[in-house]
Amino acid sequence: MSTEILSRSQAATVDRARRDRPLDFIGIALTAITLLVALASFFPIYWAIITSIKTDSEVISGGNSLWPNRFSFDSYVHIWTNTNIGIWYVNSFVTSLAITILVIVSSAGCAYALSQLDFPGRRVIYVLILACFMVPMQALIVNHFVLMAQFKLLNTWAGIILPQLIVPVTIIVYKQFFDSVPKEFREAAQMDSAGHFKILFRIYLPMNWGVTAALAIITFIGAWNAFLWPFLAATGEATMTVPVGITQVKDAYGIVYGKLMASAVVAGLPVAIIYLIFQRRVTQAIMLSAGVKG
Amino acid sequence: MADIVLKDVSKAYGVVQVLDNVSMHIRSGEFIVFLGPSGCGKSTLLRMIAGLEAVNSGEIHIGDRRVDTLPPNRRGVAMVFQNYALYPHMTVRQNMSFGLENIGTDKAEIARRVDEAARMLEIGPMLDRRPAQLSGGQRQRVAIGRAIVREPDAFLLDEPLSNLDAGLRVRTRVELAQLHQRIGTTMIFVTHDQTEAMTLASRIVVMNNRKVEQIGTPMEIYSRPASRFVAAFVGSPAMNFIPVSAIRNTDSGLQVEAGGATITAAFASPAGNVEGLTLGIRPEALRVASDGALKGRIALLERLGDRTLVHVTLADGTLVIGEDVGKSTLEPGTEVALAIDGAGTHLFDAEGVAYHAD
Repeated sequence: MSTEILSRSQAATVDRARRDRPLDFIGIALTAITLLVALASFFPIYWAIITSIKTDSEVISGGNSLWPNRFSFDSYVHIWTNTNIGIWYVNSFVTSLAITILVIVSSAGCAYALSQLDFPGRRVIYVLILACFMVPMQALIVNHFVLMAQFKLLNTWAGIILPQLIVPVTIIVYKQFFDSVPKEFREAAQMDSAGHFKILFRIYLPMNWGVTAALAIITFIGAWNAFLWPFLAATGEATMTVPVGITQVKDAYGIVYGKLMASAVVAGLPVAIIYLIFQRRVTQAIMLSAGVKG
Repeated sequence: MADIVLKDVSKAYGVVQVLDNVSMHIRSGEFIVFLGPSGCGKSTLLRMIAGLEAVNSGEIHIGDRRVDTLPPNRRGVAMVFQNYALYPHMTVRQNMSFGLENIGTDKAEIARRVDEAARMLEIGPMLDRRPAQLSGGQRQRVAIGRAIVREPDAFLLDEPLSNLDAGLRVRTRVELAQLHQRIGTTMIFVTHDQTEAMTLASRIVVMNNRKVEQIGTPMEIYSRPASRFVAAFVGSPAMNFIPVSAIRNTDSGLQVEAGGATITAAFASPAGNVEGLTLGIRPEALRVASDGALKGRIALLERLGDRTLVHVTLADGTLVIGEDVGKSTLEPGTEVALAIDGAGTHLFDAEGVAYHAD
């Protein structure tokens, strides 16, 4: 009884406090601006989806209706039946997954060595990795192309994958985390007869599982969305990835907005699903990549 | 089980010397405590025995094997770390099994050893929990359990009690002593806490400033400190030091004048030069008595129940601590006389070398 009375009186106090509080105009204005920016950001996605489910005639007839007169999935059926999108999906999935696994494993190994082992040239190597930030992928693209051509890896999965394995930020983020692990864990594992590979894979990576998940997700999304290098490395439809493949939709059928938008929606769907499922991890990964520990 | 022998072991990080020609012989089954202030090199020495730090010069032998060039896992020792270093993503059982799995021990044998250690340390019900689900004391036991299952020649314990609260520390200390009695394996324990050292050790290695100051049983260290450093470091409250004004050889022993008092005891005579000579007296050898030779004014009283610690300022300004009965009627600011028990006194020369009254 006394608890009920107390909670009622507390609720009344909170209500009164709410009523008495002056209006937070700045807060309301900021919320409104944020809402507008969110709507502006979402609108292209909405427009792509709506356009993809309109009929071709409605799309080209002009008039910017925000809702289709008739729902039509003809564009989706068309790109599924008239393009190699299934193959592109497989290519994208295989290359993105391979890039993710290889980047995570190699970055973790490199970061572990730089963080935990004492060997000559360690600092120089770390500085070189940091320096990689200053060289954009585009600056190396000709070298990559020539190299892959010499190795006869153009139009192969390996040719798409190999140049995309250079991700210094992953090494740096891992190193930061490994540096923060007390060295006693490594020493305890050494006393327990574990070699460095076992220490990395059985102790350090599981202890930093959160950062591994975050980095894996952002690496996968980056690899899935990669366009420039796969566009150059895969000239045949058999090895094209989804972002490269959807350019074929335009080439084959001209400017057909409905089909283009349908292929864009299909291309972006896996990334959108991954983002929706792992929203927190993706945000964490972006913060980590920016040098801020989440 | 095996003896551990250190021969002229030295260690330096660049130009900074952290250990300088340390030698000792640890007998099989002993409970050895490395005691010393922070930065004296005791943890480094333990880590060198473990193989976690390289030896710059000298040799380390465990049993009949020279081990200072071997990796940690081949030295036959197990270590308990200050922060326990339990793998947080593994259960207690997995933590304890990890080392045995790595050396390819049979699964049934691993299970037997883990269960036996768990029974001995009373952590059986916790085997499927993770370290985060355990209290500090339980984690400490798991860390010891992880060491026990390896059946090492020696346990190396690096300040394992320092993360526990005061009550738990005392209980765990007792359990550790009982565990040593039960398994009888050599234990080397690093601490800066003299109470832990005095209560646990078969022998204490007192270290200071890169070197071993003294090795001895707890009572040897306490009663016959080898140097002024050992005398000051071991014992609570610390030993009183009073500058000596004159010494005289008499038929009944060496007559020492200090703090306005004269005492005669059978000191081994220092070189005869009074310069830098100090008289050391434990507080329990300095008792309040109306006819006491040492006179001064009470600066502070610490009532501990069973006894009272009396802080006295002597005429020359030296502050000493003596003892009175628990129900002392003394008051701060009053004059007091302290009687000296000559047998409990020590002389220290300018280099800190001790001469005992015996």
